[in-house]
Amino acid sequence: MNPGINNIARGSDDHAWREAPRLNPRRIAVTLGFVGAIIFCWRAADIRPAILFAPGTLAAVWAFIRGLIPPDFSPDFLRIVVTAIIRTASLAIAGTTLAIAIGLPLGVMSTPTLWQRGVLLAGEPPGAVKLAVAWFSRTCRALLGFLRAVPDLMWGLLFVVAVGLGPLAGVLALAVSYGGVLGRVYADVFEDVDSRALEALHATGATRTQVFIRAIWPQAKPAIVAYTLYLLECCARSASVLGLIGAGGIGYEINLSMRLFEYGQVLTLILALIGLVAATDLFSRYWRRRLQANAPIGSLAYQYIDKRSSRSHAGRRTPATVLVLIAVVATSFYLTGFFTSTRAGLLSRIVRFAGEMFPPALDSVFLGSLAVPLVQTIGISVMGTLTGIAIGAVLSLPATSTLAFAGEDEAGKRSLLGRAARAFVYSATRLALNVLRSIPELVWALMCILAIGLGQFGATLAIGLHSGGVLGKLYAETLEEVPARPVEALRATGARPFQILLWGIWPQARPTLVSYTVLRWEMNLRVSTILGLVGGGGLGQAIYNNVQLGFYSRITTIVAIIYALVIMTDWLGDRLRNRRTAI
Amino acid sequence: MIYSLRDITKNYQSRNGPVRALESLTFDVQPFERVALLGPSGAGKTTLFRLLNATLRPTSGKLSFDGNDVSAMSSRELRQMRRRIGTIYQQHHLVPSLSAFENTLCGQLGSWSLLETVRNATRPTKLNTEQAMAALEAVGLADKQQARADELSGGQQQRLTIARVLMQDPDVILADEPFASLDPALTETIASLLMELVENGKRTLVATMHDVSLALRYYPRVVALRDARILFDKNPSDVSREDLDALYSGDAGPTVALRVDPDNQEPPRESRHKQHRAR
Repeated sequence: MNPGINNIARGSDDHAWREAPRLNPRRIAVTLGFVGAIIFCWRAADIRPAILFAPGTLAAVWAFIRGLIPPDFSPDFLRIVVTAIIRTASLAIAGTTLAIAIGLPLGVMSTPTLWQRGVLLAGEPPGAVKLAVAWFSRTCRALLGFLRAVPDLMWGLLFVVAVGLGPLAGVLALAVSYGGVLGRVYADVFEDVDSRALEALHATGATRTQVFIRAIWPQAKPAIVAYTLYLLECCARSASVLGLIGAGGIGYEINLSMRLFEYGQVLTLILALIGLVAATDLFSRYWRRRLQANAPIGSLAYQYIDKRSSRSHAGRRTPATVLVLIAVVATSFYLTGFFTSTRAGLLSRIVRFAGEMFPPALDSVFLGSLAVPLVQTIGISVMGTLTGIAIGAVLSLPATSTLAFAGEDEAGKRSLLGRAARAFVYSATRLALNVLRSIPELVWALMCILAIGLGQFGATLAIGLHSGGVLGKLYAETLEEVPARPVEALRATGARPFQILLWGIWPQARPTLVSYTVLRWEMNLRVSTILGLVGGGGLGQAIYNNVQLGFYSRITTIVAIIYALVIMTDWLGDRLRNRRTAI
Repeated sequence: MIYSLRDITKNYQSRNGPVRALESLTFDVQPFERVALLGPSGAGKTTLFRLLNATLRPTSGKLSFDGNDVSAMSSRELRQMRRRIGTIYQQHHLVPSLSAFENTLCGQLGSWSLLETVRNATRPTKLNTEQAMAALEAVGLADKQQARADELSGGQQQRLTIARVLMQDPDVILADEPFASLDPALTETIASLLMELVENGKRTLVATMHDVSLALRYYPRVVALRDARILFDKNPSDVSREDLDALYSGDAGPTVALRVDPDNQEPPRESRHKQHRAR
């Protein structure tokens, strides 16, 4: 037995000083590269903190805030708001419906377990047909990736050119971009079902269609429905923004009121937007709760299913529900003018536009002119995400219930005032996060541009504010879900809250936090390409300019570049997520 | 008196009403005393520990530590009190993604300034490093210092929690089943290590014990809990076979049985959530 154990806390000389990790060249290179990249992005995103506190900016912000109050609740304007809400909602519903129509067949076709590998194919004889089908399946998957990679607003812009200004362009944009999302998710869900059922049915001699209907679909259904409902929510947010490019609805009205300097109207519209998003959230949460009982454990749907509810009455579908659903969808299509605007010649117009997009413009002068916007786009996304991280990190701590409230059961004196103060700070930060999150980047961009003028810095701030809200909420949830036992042990040693956070909570939460942040950065890259549409610089601006000029072949090139950029972020994101380090 | 408990009761809130965990406990612990807590699982031993290290508040009754009423302490005073109490948890309670070395360092968190907290997260001071290495060596884990806590075996994790307590250098050691996941040879080693820590009037030790013979051998005082109450509080030489039979006989189940409601059970769903989290 070591004789000195009682002297441990007083230190002893018997033990060699543990070698601290040395600075190796690779580490230095990585650090320098990282710092260099940040400086580069800082320049590219045109970050000018001083301008935030310039008298002109403060005056503009003050004038804006003062203008917001009182919100405009006059009957005339409310009528406009209601019309805008209905328009946006019907856009979202029609878009989601078409997205399902696109996503489901493509999803089925790109499910690898149906067409490429797995128990259904293992016993089949090899052949040209089988090979061709497998390749077709892979092509569908790649197509879904492409639909997803191009931001919804970019699709909107393309469809405005192809089918003309109006809600139809918006519906098609939602359908295509969210069809890509749905198709991929559907394929993942179909692939993830328990393959033993497939094997059993396959062994009885069932055809692939029968296997799909009897073995795959029943297992996948809850996840499919849950994710589709979640997507409706995303569509509602997105639909409100599509108005900016002429699809009508809330986004259009916000833009209009901004230009007319009617800030009271802006506040009303923003409140309506927050209300709409909240209502969709409630609706989809209600349906997800009803579906809870059927969800397979650990499935994708499981993440989107509300875990708090205990009752369920899933699966009971009355004819009335179906009729209402059909009526709502049909009304939505009618309100978006889908039927009326599908006039003759539309198809030929789309084909002509598509034809003009090819071959893509590849002259060196044009390509050279894209370098600056490309760098700007990357810079905006990186600096915007960093701003979001800062905002999210600061706001998430007081919004974490496990940190804000030491616990009902905590020993010691209880001060009513202290508890009230904590509760107030908690609610205030939660509210702030919700507001930041509910306002889309594009609307933030309009406001930032109003305050500090056109350019990349406004776009960066807009992305930072929205991401701050999203990340703050995710951070708070992650911190709350950290396993409690190690935290309790540290508290029992007399550690302070900050010490518990750094030594007990952070090491446990880090992988999830990194993962969320990287995912957000990938999304922000897409967003930063479109903020140019409202004057935020970057590739979006280049697209907008070329659309105005009618250089459609150039658009193809820019879209291809965006696609390549998104693929690269995905790859980089995967690498960042899989990294493992100490604290 | 280091601990004084007067009529301590603890209820937990559950969906089906309050569940009684401890009822009207009254006893004292003198400085440098060694107390073994015996009792079947569910008797309230772990709850008692959480009250003793002030991470839990009693529903009623008065708990004093070193003459001070715990319920009147500010959070600062609570931290100072906890700094003097080292807890060896039954389920180890280690930070899974930190190394053994870092988990050991955690024992001293309470006595570090904020600056030290941040600095030690990247580059621990020479003194702290030596202390942590000495603690790891004392429990025989020096060669595992860089292994992550979740890569250690159950016995190694158990020893690591003891290393953390060595690092903390407390006045009182609370040990919840300190030998639960150790093999007989290691039990002997760790038991004598614990005894070395507390012998000659250096520290107070309260330990829950699964193994009755070990408890009777090492502890001059044995307190037995059953169904949330104290069954007996004796010198080990006075503990009779009848006492032990009464303590462990199977007629009355643990208090958990109070809340079992056959019509309203939902364990599958709960376990599903856990599985999901674990993924």
